[in-house]
Amino acid sequence: MHASDLAESFPVVHLDDDALPATRALAKEGLPGLVVVDDDGGPLVVLPASQVLRFALPEYLEEDPRLARMYGEREADNFCQALAGKTVRELMPSKQYLPKHDRDRPVVAVGDTLIEVATQMSRQHSPVVAVVDDAHEVVGVITVHRLLGVALQKS
Amino acid sequence: MTADTWQVVAAVAVFAGAYVAIATEFVHRVKAALIGAGLMLVIGASNGEAAFFSEESGVDWNVIFLLLGMMIVVSVVKQTGLFEYLAVWAAKRAGGRPYRVLVLLCVITAVASAALDNVTTVLLVAPVTLLVCDRIGVRPEGFLIAEAMASNIGGMATLIGDPPNIIIASRADLSFNDFLLNLGPLVVVLMGVFVLLARWLFRASFTYDAERAAAVMDLDERRAIRDPKLLSRSLVVLALILVFFSLHTVLHIDPSVVALLGAGALVLVSGTTSEEFLEDVEWETLVFFAGLFIMVGALVNIGVIEFLGEKAVDAVGGRYLLAVTGLLFGSAALSGIVDNIPYVATMSPLVDDLVESGDGSTQAASLWWALAIGADLGGNATAIGASANVVVTGIAARNGYPISFWRFTRYGLVVTAVTITLSWPYLWLRYFVLV
Repeated sequence: MHASDLAESFPVVHLDDDALPATRALAKEGLPGLVVVDDDGGPLVVLPASQVLRFALPEYLEEDPRLARMYGEREADNFCQALAGKTVRELMPSKQYLPKHDRDRPVVAVGDTLIEVATQMSRQHSPVVAVVDDAHEVVGVITVHRLLGVALQKS
Repeated sequence: MTADTWQVVAAVAVFAGAYVAIATEFVHRVKAALIGAGLMLVIGASNGEAAFFSEESGVDWNVIFLLLGMMIVVSVVKQTGLFEYLAVWAAKRAGGRPYRVLVLLCVITAVASAALDNVTTVLLVAPVTLLVCDRIGVRPEGFLIAEAMASNIGGMATLIGDPPNIIIASRADLSFNDFLLNLGPLVVVLMGVFVLLARWLFRASFTYDAERAAAVMDLDERRAIRDPKLLSRSLVVLALILVFFSLHTVLHIDPSVVALLGAGALVLVSGTTSEEFLEDVEWETLVFFAGLFIMVGALVNIGVIEFLGEKAVDAVGGRYLLAVTGLLFGSAALSGIVDNIPYVATMSPLVDDLVESGDGSTQAASLWWALAIGADLGGNATAIGASANVVVTGIAARNGYPISFWRFTRYGLVVTAVTITLSWPYLWLRYFVLV
């Protein structure tokens, strides 16, 4: 079995997409993460859902998590407002989100086997990998649930 | 120790090479200092005995352990939430009006920098400043730059406030009270001038929407203090450390011993784990200091410092006001360009020779204050002049508010020029006219 057999359609977001609808889709459809594609349409990074949360949180809460305690309940409830009017690109200013090398992109080829897909997911600590064809275009994604479901059945 | 000519030439070359590497950041400063120290041992300009056991030409363990002790103290105090509490309390007290907020944050930063150290202070105050600015709806760059500068000015007031002061205190045998009494009054004046200057320098940061600024009142500073017992215990130990520092002339306990015992006491009463109380120990900085001391000690060993000291004594020829002026302005200029820690480590033995040549006169001793003022305030001149500046610009960039080198420097040059210029009449009046 190859990656192309497992690939499912999955929403991808562009760097210039609005962050709020992208995050809404993630919550509504219960997705494990977001596939962000670069300006050429190639998969740039997969953001696990927990990392997408960081979009909504100011960086200074990362620097000093104690500050989160100071918000009143009403403001704390509205923390997702920070996403309004922002693009995905604006919310990813830090280079830590971006892969340092091409080999660090969460990508598998259509012809990769299940163990290659599993290795890539494990190496990238990513619950989702994008499946790309020879032209490097996204044909779908494989989630960790899908991969494990098929692999356990085979075993 | 008698040295061959080739050893003197080689040692000076090693020292100059390491210094250039540190100043240009061509290689990491710790690597440069360690390679330099290693080469000094290889060429025989220093040896194990001199490098590790000599008070004159070896690692100054007083400085290393004082820094270590205070870093442990800071690691524990940081967990109390005190800084977050104070900053939000100040912002609410100022009613969210930006200039008042800036003044109060700068005062808190300056006082905390004097009691702990300036780098840790800005590390703790900068994130909460971003939160406050976010609430008020103003851009935070001006606030952050002002805090870095306030930390450098405030840190000048005490022996522990700024690393150059620790080196000077150890070499000159100056006490905590000496710093407080000689530099404290000047710091109070300079802080007053600085906050007035900040009104003009950072005026672009003070445009705000009063309605939005009221949102700062919704923040609850009391929730920053999660463990009131830890806070009260930490404050008691910190107060005791400061009291013991100031009783040095009576009790004769070295500052390094006070800091280590204080750190130990704080660890005991706080119940923190080793991971927690070692979290803020900057091992790199401690190793950097050790490497620097060995390099400078090697120059002392082979007589280079003595030679330069004699030349300096001849050049000064008893004209201490001229020497103080040159040292003050020269140190400020150089500290803006190179890290003020290696600069002061190098200059201290030279200044020691100059002060000794003055037979203990107040005028000669004022050279130490000129060095401390020049190095501490000179650090404000550029974005890389002091560690606090580097920390603040880093936090700003990570939060999406990059502060360019030139933007910082534009403000820094003004603040340094004003504060150094005001320091000169202070030195002149206090040590030459009113003495």
